[in-house]
Amino acid sequence: MRQRLTSGATPYLLVLPMLLAIVVVLGYPIVNLVELSLQQYGLFQLINHHGIYIGLVNFSTIFGDSVFWHTLIRTVLFTAANVGLTMGLGMLLALLLERVSLAVRLLLTVALVLVWSTPPVVGVEIWQWMTNVQNGVLNYALTQLHLGNFIQHNWYTTTVSQYAMVTSLLVWGALPFVVITTYAALSQVPSELVEAAQLDGASAPRVFTAVTLPVIRPVLLILTSLSIIWDFGVFTQPFLLIGPDQQNPSNYLMSIYLYVEGYGQTNFGLGAAISIVMLAIVAVLSVFYVRAMVRVGDE
Amino acid sequence: MSRKRSTRTGWNIVGVGVFLVMVFPVYWMISTAFKSDSQINSYTPSWLPTQFTLQHFRTVMNTPGFWSDVTNSLIVVLVTVVIAVGLSFFAAVALARYRFGGRKLVIVLVIGIQMLPQTGLLIPLFVLLARYHEVGTLSGLVLVYLTFALPFCVWTLRGFMIAIPRELEEAAMVDGASRLGAFVRILLPLIAPGLVATSVYTFITSWNEYLFANTLLRTGHHYTITLWLSDLTGGQRAIDWGAVMAASTLISIPVVVFFLLVQRRIAYGLTAGAVKA
Amino acid sequence: MKFRGLALLTAALTLAIGVATASSAFATTTHTLTVWLQVDPQQNTAWMADIASTDSAFEAANPGWTVSHQYLPWGTHLQTLDTALAAGGSNVPDVVEMGNTEMTKYMAEGAFANLSGDKSQFANSSHWLGGLTASSTYNGKLYGVPYYAGSRVITYRSDLFAKAGVKGLPTSLAQFQTDLTKVASKEKKVKGFAPLYVGGEDWYTALGFVFDYNGSIAKYNGHKWVGTLDSKNSIKGLTAFQQFFDATQPKSSITANGTTPTPYSVFAEGKTSANYGPAWYSCCTGKNYTKVTKQFVMPSHSKGKSMPGFLGGSDLVVPAGSANETQAVQWIADYTGTTSEKALDAIGNIPNATNLLTNSVNDRAAARSWFVPQAVNWVDVENANVLPTMLRSILSRQLTVKQAATVASEQIASTLNQPAS
Repeated sequence: MRQRLTSGATPYLLVLPMLLAIVVVLGYPIVNLVELSLQQYGLFQLINHHGIYIGLVNFSTIFGDSVFWHTLIRTVLFTAANVGLTMGLGMLLALLLERVSLAVRLLLTVALVLVWSTPPVVGVEIWQWMTNVQNGVLNYALTQLHLGNFIQHNWYTTTVSQYAMVTSLLVWGALPFVVITTYAALSQVPSELVEAAQLDGASAPRVFTAVTLPVIRPVLLILTSLSIIWDFGVFTQPFLLIGPDQQNPSNYLMSIYLYVEGYGQTNFGLGAAISIVMLAIVAVLSVFYVRAMVRVGDE
Repeated sequence: MSRKRSTRTGWNIVGVGVFLVMVFPVYWMISTAFKSDSQINSYTPSWLPTQFTLQHFRTVMNTPGFWSDVTNSLIVVLVTVVIAVGLSFFAAVALARYRFGGRKLVIVLVIGIQMLPQTGLLIPLFVLLARYHEVGTLSGLVLVYLTFALPFCVWTLRGFMIAIPRELEEAAMVDGASRLGAFVRILLPLIAPGLVATSVYTFITSWNEYLFANTLLRTGHHYTITLWLSDLTGGQRAIDWGAVMAASTLISIPVVVFFLLVQRRIAYGLTAGAVKA
Repeated sequence: MKFRGLALLTAALTLAIGVATASSAFATTTHTLTVWLQVDPQQNTAWMADIASTDSAFEAANPGWTVSHQYLPWGTHLQTLDTALAAGGSNVPDVVEMGNTEMTKYMAEGAFANLSGDKSQFANSSHWLGGLTASSTYNGKLYGVPYYAGSRVITYRSDLFAKAGVKGLPTSLAQFQTDLTKVASKEKKVKGFAPLYVGGEDWYTALGFVFDYNGSIAKYNGHKWVGTLDSKNSIKGLTAFQQFFDATQPKSSITANGTTPTPYSVFAEGKTSANYGPAWYSCCTGKNYTKVTKQFVMPSHSKGKSMPGFLGGSDLVVPAGSANETQAVQWIADYTGTTSEKALDAIGNIPNATNLLTNSVNDRAAARSWFVPQAVNWVDVENANVLPTMLRSILSRQLTVKQAATVASEQIASTLNQPAS
C-alpha cells in the first residue's frame, strides 16, 4: 500500500514556476480566444480593435454546417489510422531495438534521429518527389516488383489515396519520438523480473504482458494521448502534400477546415469558435487515456 | 548459446532492413544536396550524386543571414530546453509523488494546454507580447516556446517517474538524505532515458518550429533558421532545391550533435553515479 | 556540481538574448520608415540596388530618418499583416506590397490610407496600367499605387520548331495548335513529351481563352454579382480550351496545376518544347537550351491579336494605422518613379505605366490582359478551388462544358454575394 506524501507547501512550490509561465503567457490569449468565439470579428473589426458581440451564433453556424460533420468523421478515422500505425509500429521497433546488437542499435538510433530532425516542409518535398506521377521512385519500384502496372500512376486523385500518402509521411516522421521514448521506457523494466519469468517457463508474449507492459504502461498511455492530440490537429503536412490548391470540402481535415473557414476568410470569430470545438473534441477522444494515466499515478 | 546468436543475427538483418527503409528519404535529401542542378531537375531520378558538387553548400553558407539565424535558433532552443526540462522535472515530481489540493486541476491544465489548436492563439499572443515590446525579440519567442514545452515535458516525465518504485527514495531518506535531495540523487538518474527523450523532443520541436516564429519575428531583425529556410522557397521565382536540401542537411547537424551529447552525458553520466537499489 | 555548468550556460544564453533585444531597442532613436516588400527582390542584385538607391534618396531628403525593410514570403505575408494590424500602434508598417488579387478585401474594410489626394505625387499616374489601377481603386477612391505587373508569354525551343518545319511565329491560335502538333509528331520517341506544358487545372491559362472570346467570370449588375462563366461566349472559350488541351496534352496533365513540377524544369529536361508563363522562365530553362530559348506572345484565336494574359502584379499601400503617412507616400513616389520603374523593367518586370512599356515580348504581352472580378470575396472563391475543380470536370469529361460552367457560376455568385465577414 503506497502512501502519497502530503507535506505542506513543497508540491506547490515545485509546480509554481511552471504554472506561472503558462498563466502569464497563455492566460490572456485563452481568455481572448473564448471572447472572440462569441463575437463577429472580421478584418474590419480587427483593424478597429472592436468586435461585435453575437453570442453563440458562431457555434450554431459550425454545428449547422454539414461540411463540419463530414470533416469531423473523416478526421476521427484519419486520427485512428495514424495513431494505430504509429503506436503499433513504434512498439515493434522499440522491441527490435532491444534485440539487435549494439552496432545495429546505433545505426538505427542515428537513422531515427536524422528522420526526427528533418524539417516538416522538407519531408513534404521529399514525399512529393518520391510519389511524383512522371518520375517518382514509388511508381518505378512497385512496377519493378511486379506488383502491378504503376507507370504514371497519380497518387493524389482520390481522397483515400491522398490520405494514404499523408499517413505514410506522418507515421514516418512520428516514429522516432515514439520508438526512442518507448525504448527508454523498456530500459526501465527490471531485468531480474524478466529473467525470473523466463526461468519460470513463461513464453515471450506472456513475459511481455505480465512483466513488461505494466511497467511501460504509463509511458504508452502518454504517447497514445499525445499522438491523438497531434494527429487530430495536424496541418502542415496534409495541407502542403495534398496541395493548397487541392483542398476542398470533400477532403478537409479539421485543422484545414479551421484554416480555410477561419483565417483564409479572415473570419477570426468563427476561427476562434472552431478552435474551441476542436479542443472539446480532442478532449473527448483522449479522455480514456488521460483518465487511465491519472489513475495509474494514484495507485 | 548458438541459437541465441542466430536469433540475434536474424534480428540484426531485420534491423538493417528497417534502417534502410527509414533512412531512405533522408538519404535522398542529403544526396540531392550534393547533386548538380541539372541532375536535380532531371525527369529521371538518379540514385547517386554522380555529378557531385559542393556548390549548394557554398551558396547556403554565403546567403545573408544563414549564420546569424543559426546562432539565433541555437540560443532560443538551448535556453528553452534547459529551462523547460529543469522546471518540468520539479513539477513532474510534485505530480508523481505528492498528493495536494488542486492536483487534478494542474493535470487538467497540463494536458489541456497541449490540446489547444495553436493557430487560434497566434493573434492574441502577438497582441499580448506587443504590449510588452516582446515581439520581434528572441526572448518573446523563448517565452512562447517554454509555455508549450512545459506541459509536454511535465506530462512525459511524470510518466517515467511513476514507473520508479518509491521505496528507493525512501531508502535514501532513511540514510539521512532530505526529500528533495532524494529526488535529485535517486529519481533523476533513474529517469535519465526519459530526460533524454524529453530534452531532444523539446530541442527538435523548437528548432523546427515555424508557426510562432513566423508570427512573432517578422517585425523584428532576428530571424530563426526556419524562417530563413522558408524564405528560400517563398518567392515567385524558381526554387533552388539543391540549396534547400543543402540547408536542411546542415540544419539537421546540430540536432544530431545535441542528441549524441545528451545521450552520453545524461543517460550514461547520471546513471553511472546512481545509487543502485 | 554538474548543475553549475548548466546554470552558467543558461545565464550566458539569457545574457545573449538580453543583448540581442537591447541592441534592437537602440535602433529607435531616429525616425524609422518600415517598408514591407515580398522576398522576390532578394534573389536579384539589380533589384536590391534599385531599392537601396531609393532608400538613400529618401534618407538624404529626410534627415533623421532611416528606412527599415522586411522581406516577406508570399504564402504567409497576409497573416503577418493581419497580426500587425491587430496589435496596432508602432507594430503597423508604413509601406506594404500587396498582390493585386489581394487588394479588394482589405480596401473594402478600410485597412489602407486613402491616397486620392496624393495622386499627383506619383509619376506617370495618368498612364498607369488599367489592370493595376483597377486593383488599387475602391468606390472611386485610390488606396494603392501600382508597383509592377507580370503577364504571360510563350517560352519555346526555336530548334525544335525549326526541326518540325515551322516557319515564322504563329499569328493565330489555330496556327499555334498546328505548329505544336507538327513538333509533337517529330518528338514521338521522347517519352512523356508534350509540345506545350500546360496543367489542366491552371485556370490562369484556361481563362485567357474565355476572355479571348469576350467571355468573363462574373459581372456586378448594380446590386449583386452574377456568375458569367455559363454565358455563351464563356462557354465558347472553355470549349476552345478543351479542344486545345485535347490536341496538345497527355491525359495525365488533366490533374496537373501547372506549377508542380515547374514548367521550366520540364523544359530543361527536354520533355516539352514550350511553356506558357512569366517571362522570367527563360532564366531557368537549362544549360543545354540557353541559346535556342526564345519567346513570343501567345496568339489569340483571332488572327493578329494576342491572347489576353492574366495580369498579375503588385501594388504598394499605406496601412491606415501607420503614423508616417506623408513619408510613406514620399518613399512610394520615389520607388515608383520613372527611373526606378525603368530599372524594374530591365529586370524583367512589366512597369506600371503604358508610357514606360518597351517593345519587349514581355511588355507586348500586357497589351490584352484580364483580371479577376473586383469583389470583396473573390479571395474566398480562390481558396475554395472553384475554378480548378471546374476545369478538372471539363477535361476529364465528368461533366459537359455547360454543366461544369453552370455549377462554377453558381458557386462563384453565391460566394461573391455573401455578406463580407
